[in-house]
Amino acid sequence: MMGKGIVSCGYYIPYLRIRREEYMAALGGCAADMEEKAVLDIDEDVITMAVEAARNAAENVDKGRIGALVLASTNFPYQEKYLAGTLVEALGLSGGLLTSHHSGSALAGAEAFLAAMGLLDQTDQEYALAVISDAPSSRSPEGLEHGFGAAACAFVLAGGDAALSFEGVSAQSGEFMGLRFRPPADGIVRDIGVPAYSSMSYIDTVAGAVSGVLEKLGRSPGHYRHLIMPQADLRADQALAKKLGFSEEQLREGTVFRMVGDAGCCTPFLGLCKTLEGTGGDEKTLVCTYGAGSGSIAMSFRSGAPLPAGRTTFSSQLGNKKNISYIQYLKLKKIL
Amino acid sequence: MGAHISVPMYRRTISHRYRLTGMKCAGCQGVNFPPKAVCSHCLCGTEFEDVPLSGRGLVYSYTVIAGGGAPPEFSGEARCRGSYTVVLVELEEGPRIVSQLANPPENGIWIGMPVRAVFRKIYEEEKVIRYGFKFTPL
Repeated sequence: MMGKGIVSCGYYIPYLRIRREEYMAALGGCAADMEEKAVLDIDEDVITMAVEAARNAAENVDKGRIGALVLASTNFPYQEKYLAGTLVEALGLSGGLLTSHHSGSALAGAEAFLAAMGLLDQTDQEYALAVISDAPSSRSPEGLEHGFGAAACAFVLAGGDAALSFEGVSAQSGEFMGLRFRPPADGIVRDIGVPAYSSMSYIDTVAGAVSGVLEKLGRSPGHYRHLIMPQADLRADQALAKKLGFSEEQLREGTVFRMVGDAGCCTPFLGLCKTLEGTGGDEKTLVCTYGAGSGSIAMSFRSGAPLPAGRTTFSSQLGNKKNISYIQYLKLKKIL
Repeated sequence: MGAHISVPMYRRTISHRYRLTGMKCAGCQGVNFPPKAVCSHCLCGTEFEDVPLSGRGLVYSYTVIAGGGAPPEFSGEARCRGSYTVVLVELEEGPRIVSQLANPPENGIWIGMPVRAVFRKIYEEEKVIRYGFKFTPL
């Protein structure tokens, strides 16, 4: 798994945003610590976002040399259908590439990334494309839904010299039932709503993965320029980062939740894309992911060659937006 | 009355709908889109080569369809937005094509406005999502 990394990245943030004030006015409160969040338009889903992010990432890459495609989301538009085929056609990729789909929890993005690294060993081609696109959704106007946003990102992975070299990974898993789960054919993301229990799951699992990778690489928190947390709960992220010995400054650049919302398995990787635009010299980045239930994967990266400039910058995509009302938001979700 | 397109028929045009693949006439080199049996430039060429189109172009004309005027496949979208915009785009490579405009600018649309193609859901029928291209302001 060593000697590989990210040679290019791309991302997509939907044009429509809903501000925290809209929730306050409509519901009298907002459970999410956000300024605003990106939401899908009626003609968007995780596949349309995935295509746009992947086009952005693969713009300067010979598509004929992409030998593997992995796709991750917690909210695919079909519960059963082979979806990589849509991306193969939309991107003009070879029909003979290796593919893999990942879903089921917010850990799907990290699983997809690792799968892409593995598939790179099994293909004769130079590149693997990992596409992580998510828009967690719940029909209930309560709790978790307030933070649910939408975004996609994509990474072109290759062996040899990379803009961001993969250094190592560690994981932690355990049984924590009742946290952020969606029963079959149920449009509502549920949670038993016991903060102390939720916090215990989060701390035990993420801390285990982070400590594992630090120990594996013989590092301490001070070696890292950026720490990118899961970002389903910013206060929990900040508290855990502090407990682990990281500073607020290390967290700052990779935090995207306040502007985009909780984009499920995409959020930490969107944060990684954001930090990549400002990365220079020999800098290290630690990406932590978390899936309730519960599992965590922590990955360490080291920057090297500069990334090729994409079609757009993170700040320009964030700035290209239209704010909508809560009523319009409910219409887009087909609740009204 | 909607314009029903069967799934197999839609499938046959996937490369055009998903990634704007044009057809270059082997005789006059004119670029055709959407596909034609006979070249629309020289009116006699029947041999073509697939060419990827940039997806960039300028608004040649446009119209706004009010909710009540939407065909059934677009009625859900029209109900949600109140109306939707249809543009005639002249692509950099020459062809003029009709499409919906995603994210219309709040300060209005104008003739000559630069646009680019984006991948979107076009409509859903029989629970099958039909993906394709729309245009959005650059």
